[in-house]
Amino acid sequence: MPRAIRQTVALTAAALTATACSAPGADDTRGAAPADSVVLGVATEPDTLSPLLGYGKDGNSKLFDGLLTRDADLNLEPALAEDLPEVSKDGLTYTFTLRDGVTFSDGEPLTPADVVFTYETVLDEKTNNPNRSELAAVERVRAEGSDQVVFTLAYPFAPFAARTVLPIVPQHVAGEQDPNTGAFNTSPVGTGPYVLADWRKGEKLVFKANPHYWGGEPAVKNVTMAIVPDDDVRATRLRSGDLDGAILPPNLAATFEDEADLTTYRATSYDYRAVSLPTGDPVTGDVDVRRALDLAVDRDTMVEKVLDGAGRPAYGPLPVDDDWFAKGTERAHDPAAARRILDRAGWEKGADGVLTKDGRRAAFTLYYPAGDKVRQDLALAYAGDAKKIGVEVKVESGTWDVIEPRMAKDAVLAGFGDVGDPDFGLYPLLHSSEAGDGFNNMPHYDNPAVDKALDDARRTRDAAERRAAYDTLQQELAENPGYTFLTHLDHLYVLADRWKTAGSDGLTTQVEPHEHGFAAGPWWNLEDWQPRR
Amino acid sequence: MSAAASTAAVDAGAATARRRLPWGGMARLTVRRILTGVPLLLTVTLGVFALAAASPFDPVRGYAGDAALTADQETLDRLAANLGVGEPFAVRWWDWLTAALRGDLGDSTVLRQPVLEVIAERAVWSALLCAVAFAVAVAVGTLLGVLAARRPGGLLDRTVTGTAYTLSAAPVFWLALLAVWFFALRLDVLPAGGLTDSGSSYVSFGDVAEHLVLPAGVLAVSQLPWFVLYVRQGVVDALAEDPVRGARARGLAERTVLVRHALRSGLLPVLTLIGSRVPELITGALLVETVFSWPGIADATVRAATAVDFQLLAALTAFATVAVLLGNLLADLLYGLFDPRVDFRDM
Amino acid sequence: MTCERPETSATGGRPDVLAPLPVAWRSHGPRQRSWRTLRVRTSAVLTAAVVLAVLLVPPLVQLDQQAVDLAAKLRQPSWSHPFGTDDVGRDLLLRCVYGLRVSLFVGVAAALVAAVVGTAVGALAGALGGWVDRVAMRVVDALASVPHLLLGVFVVALFRPGVWPVLLSVAATHWLSTARIVRAEVLSLRGRPFVDAAISGGASRWRIAVRHLVPAVLPQAGLAAVLSVPHAMWHESALSFLGLGLPAHMASLGNLIEGARGSLLAGQWWPTLFPGLFLIVPTLAVAGLAGAWRDRIDPRRRSELML
Repeated sequence: MPRAIRQTVALTAAALTATACSAPGADDTRGAAPADSVVLGVATEPDTLSPLLGYGKDGNSKLFDGLLTRDADLNLEPALAEDLPEVSKDGLTYTFTLRDGVTFSDGEPLTPADVVFTYETVLDEKTNNPNRSELAAVERVRAEGSDQVVFTLAYPFAPFAARTVLPIVPQHVAGEQDPNTGAFNTSPVGTGPYVLADWRKGEKLVFKANPHYWGGEPAVKNVTMAIVPDDDVRATRLRSGDLDGAILPPNLAATFEDEADLTTYRATSYDYRAVSLPTGDPVTGDVDVRRALDLAVDRDTMVEKVLDGAGRPAYGPLPVDDDWFAKGTERAHDPAAARRILDRAGWEKGADGVLTKDGRRAAFTLYYPAGDKVRQDLALAYAGDAKKIGVEVKVESGTWDVIEPRMAKDAVLAGFGDVGDPDFGLYPLLHSSEAGDGFNNMPHYDNPAVDKALDDARRTRDAAERRAAYDTLQQELAENPGYTFLTHLDHLYVLADRWKTAGSDGLTTQVEPHEHGFAAGPWWNLEDWQPRR
Repeated sequence: MSAAASTAAVDAGAATARRRLPWGGMARLTVRRILTGVPLLLTVTLGVFALAAASPFDPVRGYAGDAALTADQETLDRLAANLGVGEPFAVRWWDWLTAALRGDLGDSTVLRQPVLEVIAERAVWSALLCAVAFAVAVAVGTLLGVLAARRPGGLLDRTVTGTAYTLSAAPVFWLALLAVWFFALRLDVLPAGGLTDSGSSYVSFGDVAEHLVLPAGVLAVSQLPWFVLYVRQGVVDALAEDPVRGARARGLAERTVLVRHALRSGLLPVLTLIGSRVPELITGALLVETVFSWPGIADATVRAATAVDFQLLAALTAFATVAVLLGNLLADLLYGLFDPRVDFRDM
Repeated sequence: MTCERPETSATGGRPDVLAPLPVAWRSHGPRQRSWRTLRVRTSAVLTAAVVLAVLLVPPLVQLDQQAVDLAAKLRQPSWSHPFGTDDVGRDLLLRCVYGLRVSLFVGVAAALVAAVVGTAVGALAGALGGWVDRVAMRVVDALASVPHLLLGVFVVALFRPGVWPVLLSVAATHWLSTARIVRAEVLSLRGRPFVDAAISGGASRWRIAVRHLVPAVLPQAGLAAVLSVPHAMWHESALSFLGLGLPAHMASLGNLIEGARGSLLAGQWWPTLFPGLFLIVPTLAVAGLAGAWRDRIDPRRRSELML
């Protein structure tokens, strides 16, 4: 059929010539292009790029700077402020002096009014910022002179300085708009090392170096954050050279070990996985069941097998090697002890092998977000461990729209973890006043002793008192574990060996929070990268 | 056109001069197909809008995405008015249709791009993949089919038909995954996915060709069984027909008989098959593109579906329907050209 | 001779996964005939094996397919785990059997719905004729012009998540061929002498339908239904593979293949290989049996149907 074939050849040729220069999805530059461009594959993208709604609240936002920032060891250092703040004796007043000569990417200078505007808008009830409570201690922000900002707190809030990594937005742009829906959410203007060049939602964000950056123009000029939710696809695209670097789950990261020009970076983290045990459910709300489950889970095996070793057992929200971790609250894997607890509490084995008490079966449903392989496997392993002590856990997947309305009644394989100060993560996780507020305190955990410890630790500056409060909290939490904490994860990144940071041979990572891949990762300090010779 | 001409000479025995291309007949068939195709397309798109009207998903929320959670009611109402929510689906369909005729297919919510642009920049890559795969499937399928038909029931025949049957039952995405494992991971001879290696915005021919081998190969293999089996059957039947038997009786070489007589009439059904395989080809491409991260229509389709991106889905459905209709038309035109007994007016 | 098209129109303008495949086993001689018998027998044995496995394994084998054994993750196929284990140490043979159950359930249910809808539409269109027939056939033509999977994706996208949308989407794309076949059958019967005789004999429409049409049409509809089961299974697995099918915790074969992608990229082939084989086997078995059935109920059309 010569005709048919000719037809096809012609079609093919036409297809090739017609599109010789557009490759949708292939938005990158590894190989041929110079090292001043980088394409990074991440799993998620922010809903908004406006700090007023929470973008970049923990720093490293690329587009913005806070008054302070964090170094590789998470120590605070000045950014838009000239120096660390002066704190009054009573701990109620923080004074920042702004750096000279900082301009926003539209050329306008940074003023104290911008700082005041940013904080006041975030604190405004009408702004839909889900993290407003993090700044609950702030009573007043005011500008002083031409270069100072003074924060007055309602009570001495020890970790306040760590909150001032909050990115500063320009009042002359954002002040003209509704902070919830304005264009600033998608076309932001900041002081940061990069400016947004393009954002195709769900596909990629493109950043260009800010030539007027106060810290000096970054050496990496073009940064593309490709949004690739599927782990397997991300790995494929990294392998095919479509991406220069990507965040990957451990089993896929391991497949790049032998690649000569790729390096794997492992960052330890505060990012934990835990099963929320709703107080409202008679089974998961039962303290004996909670304690038994806590003893029944085999955390070491989960780390070794589900995470391929990339993680550590978690006994609470704080990692075991954290400074604030209460030594002695580790719990051994002890299913026999778990069975004894349930036995003593009057749970009896039913016909199907599941425990019952007062006619109620020890059974509940555990949801995990569909597509998250690690959570899926942890959920299955959890169900397996629970089954061994006679508790039936039915594992189901769902999208977040399915899970969200059920969070108060059904268990969820949740993930959280904040850097900076224990208060940041623990308060929304455990305080009864936060119950059911978005993803805060999902299981409606309600423990007066824990509430008190959280409040005490928040309102004192005395280090010893704070330590005592958090120790109490962790012990209380071990007594009545409203979550079964499973593991802290290590985050793995595979990256082409084409960059290094000044003064080191490769790149560095910070200890990372739960939200990672975008602001965290080896690219946390992208502005300091240098092409490797 | 020598093929058709000599076919005519041999089979019909009536035409002695070279047959001229029946332009008039072809044009009339094309016009007739367009006339039937238009109402069909209207039905399909109307059905698409009817389905969407029955969907429990809130189009406003779908459009605004997560922003809907934080947007105020006024914004949502404005958006609803813009999207024509609340009007009967027939009205929305008519609005969409009239806009589409002006070249405006709306904006894709998930890709934040005009739908036309999405389709335009991806369709070429899908077309390339499909065309190459189809060409390979037709060529290899014909070859294997003829070889198998030479000795029906022989070892080669059984091997080929048996394999073809098994392959026809194998899910194409499964074949694709195994191909990735074997060729990209195990042997490490071909890239596992993507369009280019360097991935620069400029695409080089060799680069694309290398990345095309696996997806096009898998797609071709998945289409192969139908061509093999049709060609085999056609040639077997033709070999049993009188003219061929006559030719054999006249002592013509087996090869000549096979190529000049049996092959010609045996291949005719294949032409129709080409047209009717287009929907399956699109289906297969949808899955193959997903496995190989090929930046074609499939990727857009899956993302549109996951995000309930209605504008994009509607356009893609209409687009695929047009592709199918074109495939059918092409096949019929070819059929009419190759088979002198067929009059275009009968189609 | 007019343009005698291959039988593709009987299956909705396109060859279905199975239906239109030319049956290569024409009885040209004893060798072919024995080969065909062998094929039918093999198909029967395979079908029986599939049905038995799906029905009997769950009640008889007291093993939990969900049983996680992290210590045994990703074991290669061995005597204790003939298909190996997946990445949380679940036995893949057991998972495949359960997956086949889920897939078969969806396939059979969708095929039944499709058969009922298709028979009803086809019979009504054929029997009533006129504008009903024209409208129905236009709708069938239109639907048949949209690639199956795309239509399925569209339906699922709009009605996610869950089992019902998947069932609906698979059924919605599979009644077309049944409707066409049944309509053709009804039309051919309407012209037959015995129907004419019955009509002139004053028999009521209902009586004619019940006495003559239904018995003639049922085998055809049944055949179409059986033939669409494997395709429906295939369809479900494709949707699940795209992440648009059954929820991930319902281990259909498609979900098993989708879930194994990570392992495959890490070099473990067995979690991908076996669920795929489990999709192929029932397809071939049903195809073989249905082919034989088709030859039996309608030897007259055998040669025609070979294409």
